[in-house]
Amino acid sequence: MDRNQIRKWLKNLGKMANKYSFHVVYFCTGCGIIEIPPSITTRWDAERFGIIPVATPRQANLFLITGYVSTKTLKAIIRTYEQMPEPKYTVAFGSCPINGGMYYDSYNTITSLDKYIPVDGYIAGCMPRPEAVFIGVTHLWKLIDMDKADGYKRYREDYTLYRANQEQLFGELGWPPLFQNEKYKYSNSQQTI
Amino acid sequence: MTYAVSKKGNINMELLKQKLLSGFNGLDIQLRDDQRMFISTEKESILSLLSYLKNEGYEHLALISCNDWINQEKFELVYILSAYMADDNHYQEKEKRSIILKTNISRKVAKFMTITNIFNSAEPYERELHEMFGIIFEGHPRLTPLMLEREYEVPPFRKDFDSQNYVDNTFGKIPSIAERKEGTK
Amino acid sequence: MRELELFYGPQHLGMVGNFSITLKVEGDRIIKADANPGYLHRGFEKLMEQRTWMQNFPLVCRINVVEPDHMELIYSMGVEKLAGIEVPERGKFIRSIFCEMARVGSHLFGLWAYANMLGFDTVANWAMYHRDLLLDLFEELTGARVYHIYLRPGGVRRDFPEGFTDKLIETLHKIGGKVPDYNTTFFENSLFKQRAEGIGIVTREEAIRMGAVGHTIKATGMKYDIRKIEPYDAYDQVDFDIPVRTDGDAYSRLLAIRDDMIESVHLIFKLIDKMPKNGAVYTKTPNPFKWNIPKGETYVRCESSRGELGLYMVSNGGNKPYRVHFNTPSYNHGLTVLEKALVGESVSDVGNIMISLYVVAPEIDR
Repeated sequence: MDRNQIRKWLKNLGKMANKYSFHVVYFCTGCGIIEIPPSITTRWDAERFGIIPVATPRQANLFLITGYVSTKTLKAIIRTYEQMPEPKYTVAFGSCPINGGMYYDSYNTITSLDKYIPVDGYIAGCMPRPEAVFIGVTHLWKLIDMDKADGYKRYREDYTLYRANQEQLFGELGWPPLFQNEKYKYSNSQQTI
Repeated sequence: MTYAVSKKGNINMELLKQKLLSGFNGLDIQLRDDQRMFISTEKESILSLLSYLKNEGYEHLALISCNDWINQEKFELVYILSAYMADDNHYQEKEKRSIILKTNISRKVAKFMTITNIFNSAEPYERELHEMFGIIFEGHPRLTPLMLEREYEVPPFRKDFDSQNYVDNTFGKIPSIAERKEGTK
Repeated sequence: MRELELFYGPQHLGMVGNFSITLKVEGDRIIKADANPGYLHRGFEKLMEQRTWMQNFPLVCRINVVEPDHMELIYSMGVEKLAGIEVPERGKFIRSIFCEMARVGSHLFGLWAYANMLGFDTVANWAMYHRDLLLDLFEELTGARVYHIYLRPGGVRRDFPEGFTDKLIETLHKIGGKVPDYNTTFFENSLFKQRAEGIGIVTREEAIRMGAVGHTIKATGMKYDIRKIEPYDAYDQVDFDIPVRTDGDAYSRLLAIRDDMIESVHLIFKLIDKMPKNGAVYTKTPNPFKWNIPKGETYVRCESSRGELGLYMVSNGGNKPYRVHFNTPSYNHGLTVLEKALVGESVSDVGNIMISLYVVAPEIDR
């Protein structure tokens, strides 16, 4: 380790603390949950990248959506995503969240996840190997360095549009809007339900 | 896929067939050589036939299913029974068999009696048939939705429900965030 | 005391899989439980009516994510029955060896889930490591770790490569040699006995009334196994036993699972000894784009690692199935048996009981 690296790290201490300690929400959403236990246990150790699973969304900052999403699960995903504190990142597995994938003509699965919550990146594979998951996470580090992983900022600015999409799909939503008045666009604090 | 069928097994199936034909009217029984017995009957005698077979030892209700014959305007309900082991350490011929009961109900007014008084495990099968095909089972203790989250005009497993059409009209009509932004500008 | 309604919902540390239960509790004891499936419903039976017979294979293996091989097996058996196709000898043995490997892998996954739920992290890590060694073998044989698509109507896709059986025997010796360590650390540990004895009791009469199969009924003393009742493939040419226990609680079910895993390892050795050295591994089927199967209907069944798996299939003479209906073992266990076994138990034992009944959520929803 030479002095230049230390200077690089100290330049942005906040980003370094954010990147190297992802806490993953423990929510098994779809097919891809079969390749998460091998990633967490000793053979392909995920803790050397700083990734550990935590119990509640209030303590988490990474949300892995492992595969296809049905309409009942989408309600639970939106509530979980809105409970996570900022900054937060979302990564989706496979081709089902992009355009419906193998279940393109199913009456119960949605065809594109980006219309309802913001997604930062996708990992290819059905299901992705543990090594592919780690490559995806290291790519997310680069995006955080370049300030391009801004899903949560987009959700805050375009919140009325996201909410309109959610209400067009579900009809009446059972919870009030996350951001209540115009002040949220300029302030640092977040008004939560 | 050949099954070893002993002569004794066939004799037992023939005996059961004779007993059923003498006890009930209007049955149509076929024996196949892979230990499957197909019985077609009228819908009024299903309950008594199921109780009789349960007393004979066929206590395991494997499946309740439904075929949608849209060209002939009828639903065909299918009940599949099999037997548990009577003696813990020896395997007998009776356990190889499965009995498949079939009956027709009308498609326009789809109603039938529930069998939860005879077989306790029939409850989730009938709930699922209710929400997927639209059949009402009279006397069922809890006929609420099991898996689906919303209501459809035509129940989804019927042959006149076009799922590609439904996907295009519901999920395809929702615009992406970039398209909504351009629309409001 | 007051009644409370709790949601043991999909995002919960004690839940493996995407499934939810609504509990009515009074203090710490459960009065009523309502299972709430449907988070993973894709409508398979409707999707399969719109694809041809061979195009359904990638769909059918995604019904049970932990152990997709028995789903391919049951669908192949159904198509063979309807079309009248026979499997050659060497193909039957390869199919049995393949399914037994999948059974060992699935039991190791169940051991990971159960040990993780109770807090025995050492044993959970060992179990996942041994399952990974088996997945390496699957990758060499078929090309993928999890979804194999190796079985087809008429046999298997291709033969074993050179030296595969030697590697398989070496891996099984590694797994079998670790069983004494599993016994001393987990199965004979007094902490495990205190947490699992007397919890979630399902007696023989209740199991027969509610339609339970698999390890739930093997833990009450009945040797109900389709490999012995209606033998398929090569199971009638080798000699094996079905292990049972008598008590009917979570402890007996876990011990029955462990004994089943050891029995499968010995069974693979016997099958490798008896396998014919040469021969074809599949019979040719017609062009998959133009394959019409004659009219008929059938009901076939096999034994997956969770219990009796059945398939009711109807063909109308065309190139697509007319009606497909799977009878999965987790359907009864997760909906009828679970709601009865949870009454009177404490809230902290819900995950314990659910995993000892060996419920996998995608099998319920299909």
